[in-house]
Amino acid sequence: MVCSLPLSAVPEPQAARPAVAAAEAELLAQLQQGSEAAFRTLVERYQNRVYRTVLALLRSAEEAEDVAQEVFVEVYQTIGRFRGDAALSTWLYRLATSRALKHRRRARAKKRFAYFTSLLGFDNHVLHELPDHAHPQARLEGKQQLQLLLDHIARLPDQQQVAFTLRHEQELSYEEIAAVLQTTVPAVESLLFRARQTLRKHLQPSFRHV
Amino acid sequence: MSNSSLRPGADEEWEDLLRQWRAQPSAQPRPFFYGRVRARLDDAAAQPWLPAWLRRPAYAVMLGLLGMALSGDSAALPSAAGAAPQNEAPGSPLPSAVPQG
Repeated sequence: MVCSLPLSAVPEPQAARPAVAAAEAELLAQLQQGSEAAFRTLVERYQNRVYRTVLALLRSAEEAEDVAQEVFVEVYQTIGRFRGDAALSTWLYRLATSRALKHRRRARAKKRFAYFTSLLGFDNHVLHELPDHAHPQARLEGKQQLQLLLDHIARLPDQQQVAFTLRHEQELSYEEIAAVLQTTVPAVESLLFRARQTLRKHLQPSFRHV
Repeated sequence: MSNSSLRPGADEEWEDLLRQWRAQPSAQPRPFFYGRVRARLDDAAAQPWLPAWLRRPAYAVMLGLLGMALSGDSAALPSAAGAAPQNEAPGSPLPSAVPQG
C-alpha cells in the first residue's frame, strides 16, 4: 500500500504536525521491520526531493539519478541503525547532499588525474572535459540569467552550496537546514549570507551601479 | 540581503531571479525509479561478500605470501640465511673485508 500522506518540507499547519510525525514514525517502524511496501512508500514519497537536491548539486541528470538510487540503497541497508534522532526527511537530505558532494569530489579527482597523466604523455583516452551539463530547468527555458545563477552556485564552497540549495530550491527552513548540516541556525544564517553576497557580487553586474 | 553598492531595485531583481528558479518545472527522475532502486538492491545482495580485488588470484596469492612473511614463519619461505655459509662464527668479517695477501 502506498501511503499518500504528505510529509512536505514546507511548514505545515500546527494541527497537522503531530499527524505527520505519527505517520513518519509508523513508516519508520514498518521500514525497520523490513516491510517492502513501506520502502516503496518511502522511495515514492521522497524520490523527487532527493533527486532534485542531488541534481542541483551535480547538474547532471544521469549522475543525479545514479546518486539518488545510491541514497535509497543506503537507506534500505542501514535503516535498522536509524534511531530516529532526526526526522526521516532530514536524514534523507543528509545522505543525499553528502553523497552528491562525495560523487563530485571523486569526479574532480578523476579529472585531475586524467589531466596529470596526459601531461606525462600517457595515451589517455579518458581526457576530456567532464560534461558541464546545463541544468534541465535552465536548458528548457533557455534563461541565461538562471543558467548564470546555477553556474555560480556550483562554484560556491560545499557547505554554502548545500545551504543555499536547500533554502532556495527545496525551500527548507533555517532549522531544517541546520539539522541536515548538523550545525546551528546562526551558522546556517552565516552560510547563506556569505553565499548570497558572493553570488550577487559575481552574478549580475546589472545589479550594481553603472 | 541589502547592499549599499547595489542600485535601487537590485534586491527585487535578485528575488525575482530566485523566484524564477523555484517556479521552473520540477525535475523528476525517469519513470519506474523504484524498480531501478529495487534492481540495484537485488544486485547488491547477489554480489559475493569478498571485495572484487580479492577475488583475483594474483592478489590472493600476494596476500597469502604477505601473511606468511608477516607471521614470522621463515621456514615457509626461502630465505637468504639458507644460502649463507653455516660455519661462520658470529661477528666474523665478510670475505671481502679480509686483507688479501
